[in-house]
Amino acid sequence: MTYVDRVAAPFAIVVTEAPDAEADVIRRAQARDMRAFERLYRAHVPRVYAVCIRMTANVTRAEELTQKTFVTVWEKLPLFRGESAFTSWLHRVAVNTVLADLRAEHRRTQRVFTTEDPAIFETPPSAPPAGTRMDLEQAIAGLPPQARAVFVLHDVEGWQHNEIAEQLGVAIGTTKAQLHRARKLLQEALQ
Amino acid sequence: MNCIEIQAVLNDYVDGELAPAETARVETHLVGCAGCRAQVGSLRNLVSAAAALPKEIAPNHDLWPEVGLALRAGLNSSANLQELRPLRRSSPTVHWLLPLAAAASIVYLATFSRPPIAPAAINAQSWTVASLEGAPRVGRRSFSGQAQLHVGQWVETDGTSRAKLASSSIGEVSVEPNSRLRLTTARSTDHTLQLAQGKMSAFIWAPPRLFFVDTPAARAIDLGCAYTMTVADNGDGELHVTLGYVALEHGGRESIIPAHAKCVTRRGFGPGTPFADDAPEPLRAALTRFDFVRGAASRALKEILAQARPEDAVTLWHLLARTQGTVLAEVFDKLAEMHRPPAGVTRAGILAGDATMRQAWGRALGIGTF
Repeated sequence: MTYVDRVAAPFAIVVTEAPDAEADVIRRAQARDMRAFERLYRAHVPRVYAVCIRMTANVTRAEELTQKTFVTVWEKLPLFRGESAFTSWLHRVAVNTVLADLRAEHRRTQRVFTTEDPAIFETPPSAPPAGTRMDLEQAIAGLPPQARAVFVLHDVEGWQHNEIAEQLGVAIGTTKAQLHRARKLLQEALQ
Repeated sequence: MNCIEIQAVLNDYVDGELAPAETARVETHLVGCAGCRAQVGSLRNLVSAAAALPKEIAPNHDLWPEVGLALRAGLNSSANLQELRPLRRSSPTVHWLLPLAAAASIVYLATFSRPPIAPAAINAQSWTVASLEGAPRVGRRSFSGQAQLHVGQWVETDGTSRAKLASSSIGEVSVEPNSRLRLTTARSTDHTLQLAQGKMSAFIWAPPRLFFVDTPAARAIDLGCAYTMTVADNGDGELHVTLGYVALEHGGRESIIPAHAKCVTRRGFGPGTPFADDAPEPLRAALTRFDFVRGAASRALKEILAQARPEDAVTLWHLLARTQGTVLAEVFDKLAEMHRPPAGVTRAGILAGDATMRQAWGRALGIGTF
C-alpha cells in the first residue's frame, strides 16, 4: 500500500512506500523503470540532501552531490541485493559521494589538511551578525570541512568512530580528536 | 582525578565510551566539581541538539529533471556515463548534468546507433539525419544511411520508415512513420522544427528556451525535457512530456506541461489545459469540452472539479488562470483542499489575479520553474 505523507507537490512529491510496496518499486527500478526510480528519488531526496548540505555547507555543491548520488544509485541499483535496508544503502552512497568530493576538493585546493593534527581546527566558526544568535546549523556550517564531516556523521547521523575512520582512511584516534575539536568550536560559537 | 585529567576524557564520558572503572572515577570527581559538571551539561546539550536535528531537508527546488536527463543519457550509454566523470566544477549550479547528458548521448550516437551519426558541430547550421527504418526522404531524395538536414528542408517518412535527427548542441529527435517535419531555424539563439503531420519524440539537452517545435495548433517550447508530440491530419495535436517541462503557446495562451502530463492542442484554439497522463477519462472528456467547445465551459468545469484527484493539480493550477469570479473561487478551494498553498499565497490574492502568487503556488506544486 502506498500513502502520501506530504502532499505538497504532486510532481515533486514525497511518497513513503510501505516496505513491501517499496521492494516492488526497487525491483522495477532495478529493471530500468525510470518512473519507478523517480518514485524512489522523490521518497528519499530529502534524506540525501540533508546529508549533502550539512557536510558541504554549500547549496550548489549539495545540489550537485545529491544529483550525483542518485546517478550513482541508478548505476549501482542492479547490484543492490537487499541485504541492508534500501535507506541505509542509499545513505552510504550519499556519504561516500560527499566524502569523495571533499577529498577531491582538498586535492584541488592543495590545502594542508593533516588529519592527525587537530590544531588546524583552531579557527572558530565565523561570528554571526551583531544582535543575532548563531544557531546550531549555522555553527556547523562554519566548521572546517573535515571536522564538520566527522561531527555530522557522528553526532547528527549517529555513525560510530570505527565506521567514520574507515570511510576517511584515518585512525580512530584522529576522528575522535576531530570530533572533540569540532564540539569545542561549536560550544564557543554558540555561547 | 583532577580537572585537567577530566578534560582529557570528557567527550568519551559523555559518549559512554569509558570503561566502568574510569566512568566511576569521573563521576566521583563531578560530584565535587561544579565547573566540570557544567561542562558535562553543556556538552550533553550540544550532543542532544545535534542528534535532534531533522534528518530530512528538502532541496530548494526540484533536482529530478537534471537527474532524469542524465539517467536517460546513461540508459543509452551506461558504460560511458562513468567515464565522463569527474564533472565540471565550474558549471552553473544544477546544470552540471546537462553537459553530461549531452556528452553521453553524443557517445551513444557515435557508438551505438545504426547507422552511426557523427556529432554535429556546436551551433551548426544543419542537423544530421539518419534512417532508422526504411527509406525516409530529405527534400525529394530518399536515403538509407545518413544525410544532412539544412534549414528549409523537409524530412518525410512513409508508413514503413523512421528517421532520427541529431544536433550535438541541442538534442535528438525521432521521426515516426507517416510524418512530415521541417528544420526552420538552426541558430545559436534558436533551433526550430516544424511538425506538419505525424509524430516525433524529442530528447533535448540544450538550455531551456533554445529548442522549439511549431505545429499547426501551437508552438512547443523546450524547458529542458523529453517529450512526444503528435499532429493529426487536421492539425490538432497532443503533447506528452516524460521528463522536465515543456511550454505550449499560441495567441497569448500558454500551458506548462510537466513530466507525466499531457496537453491537447486544437487548430484555431491553441493549447488546452494540461492533465496528468493517468487522469480518468471523464476528467479528460470534461477538459476537452471546457477548452474547445464554446458554451460548454461552465458545466464542464463542474465535472472537472468533481473528478479531480490530488494528482490532477496540474489541471487545477492552470484553471486558476482560466476562470474568474465564483468559478475561480471554486477552483481555488478545490486545489487548496488537496494541496495547501505555500506561505505568502492567499485566497484573496489568487482571486484578484495575482500572477506572482499563482507562479509561487505552481513552483511549490512542481509544475514549472518560472
